[in-house]
Amino acid sequence: MLEVQDLKTFYGKIQVLWGVSLQVQEGEIVAIVGPNGAGKTTLLNSILGLVRPTSGSVTFLGRRIDGLPSYAIAEQGISVVPESGRVFPDMNVRENLEMGAYYAWERRKEALAYVYQLFPRLKERERQLARTLSGGERQMLAIARALMSRPRLCLFDEPSYGLAPLMVREIFEIVQKIREQGVTVLLVEQNVRRALEIADRAYVLENGRICMEGECTELLESDHIRRAYLGM
Amino acid sequence: MTIKIIEVLITGLLMGGLYALVAVGLSLQYGVARILNISHGEFIMLGGLTTWALYTALGVNPLLSLAICGPVAFILGFVIHRTLFKRLLASSASPAIFESNSMLAAFGLMFILQNIALLIWGPEIRGYSYLVIPVHFLGTLFGANRLLTFGLALVIGLGFYLFLSLTRTGKAIRAAAQDPPTAGLMGVNINNVLALCFGLGAAMAGIAGVLISMCYPVHGVMGLEYTIIAIIVVVLGGLGSIPGSFIGGFILGLIGSVVTFFEPGLALVAYYVIFILLLLVRPTGILGR
Ligand SMILES: Nc1ncnc2c1ncn2[C@@H]1O[C@H](COP(=O)(O)OP(=O)(O)OP(=O)(O)O)[C@@H](O)[C@H]1O
Ligand SMILES: [Mg+2]
Repeated sequence: MLEVQDLKTFYGKIQVLWGVSLQVQEGEIVAIVGPNGAGKTTLLNSILGLVRPTSGSVTFLGRRIDGLPSYAIAEQGISVVPESGRVFPDMNVRENLEMGAYYAWERRKEALAYVYQLFPRLKERERQLARTLSGGERQMLAIARALMSRPRLCLFDEPSYGLAPLMVREIFEIVQKIREQGVTVLLVEQNVRRALEIADRAYVLENGRICMEGECTELLESDHIRRAYLGM
Repeated sequence: MTIKIIEVLITGLLMGGLYALVAVGLSLQYGVARILNISHGEFIMLGGLTTWALYTALGVNPLLSLAICGPVAFILGFVIHRTLFKRLLASSASPAIFESNSMLAAFGLMFILQNIALLIWGPEIRGYSYLVIPVHFLGTLFGANRLLTFGLALVIGLGFYLFLSLTRTGKAIRAAAQDPPTAGLMGVNINNVLALCFGLGAAMAGIAGVLISMCYPVHGVMGLEYTIIAIIVVVLGGLGSIPGSFIGGFILGLIGSVVTFFEPGLALVAYYVIFILLLLVRPTGILGR
């Protein structure tokens, strides 16, 4: 479904991605894990057209999407829950959700009903400004907003970051639920154990390169993962 | 005495309505499109002089000019953004560089528009009288033209507020003002929204120019004063806050009217003093964060 080939990305003269390749099949949850500063966010932003890769290609459903502006990439059916949520602070919950359905405007009513049923708490806070939500609610809003367009593929950038354990569990349950409803998931996570438990396959990104990949069950057994990421 | 106070206050509100409109226009251009549009006042001037010319040469009702100048200014602003500022944005390495580059470009635009107007209309002060019918109001006397312009400014301000709050495009404008890249990820074509905002800002200026010409004389170099007033109001109301600009316009109008009552000619000085005090005490403005 999504195929990234030999992606190289620079910020000015500094190279951050050194030829990253990965694939996501329809219906999968694929995790990307790696230390801070490895280039995970840069990889997602390169896929989304927020930064321009210098070389390499991104193909979605058989079409090249690298080089397209990010609004056109979104319109292909790719949503994102950005790092730290990035909800629109001075819009209320409902308006934030409506923005998520910007290119599927006619279906926003059904989409609202759908996400309110996933996140009843958002419905209660419909009229509240996003800036006044708690960290967990804000993250839920960011996820719900990403689902409003009924995407084919949803990218998550550390959705559990900074949240309390109960909330973290809830977020991971939602990711699984979304997949069951037919959305393919590419998940960047710091919480490596949880990520490997719910994902089918994973890539380990270190210093801008993929240094390991495979089925999550295998990766959970590997010495490198156990030592570097699971503290064992 | 009370009659005098009421008169000063109402004069202030009437002026404030025009300031509010002018400032909301600049707020769209500066708050959303990040262009400190030094040529904002030139669109006011063009609106005013065009209305004068149409009225005196062809007898066109200024209300009809409103329906002409608004859309024409919109198209002009939209095209200017599409051709000039969009390119500047693409070639600027950072938002800060774009802000300074676009301000310089707007300076250039100011001279071009001003000189075009001077070529067509010369430097003379132009005025016409329209609806100068005295209306009794709370024991005071006001020209019907003043009340009409005030009403129109209010209606346009309110209409625009509803547009921003209720429509899909209005929401996209607000989202783009708060977080442009994320708005893009929602499927908003940012370049279109920016051009739209610049065009809407120009349209507001053009419309304000028409309204101003109904009450005050207009001339080719009147623009800069309004640009400065608009900048002060936008900072007063809080950068990027469109309701703030609207309220700030009324506040500045009231202040101007009070100062003018005691010492005509000091209004602009008072505006500068407020501006400097504001920058020192509360640089984020009334509704800014
Ligand atoms: N806009 C930018 N300009 C310059 N350098 C950047 C920019 N964004 C990221 N970088 C650099 O690129 C490298 C990778 O950053 P990135 O945000 O992709 O890492 P990450 O894997 O997402 O880290 P984290 O887990 O902390 O979110 C870092 O060294 C960072 O300093
Ligand atoms: Mg990151």
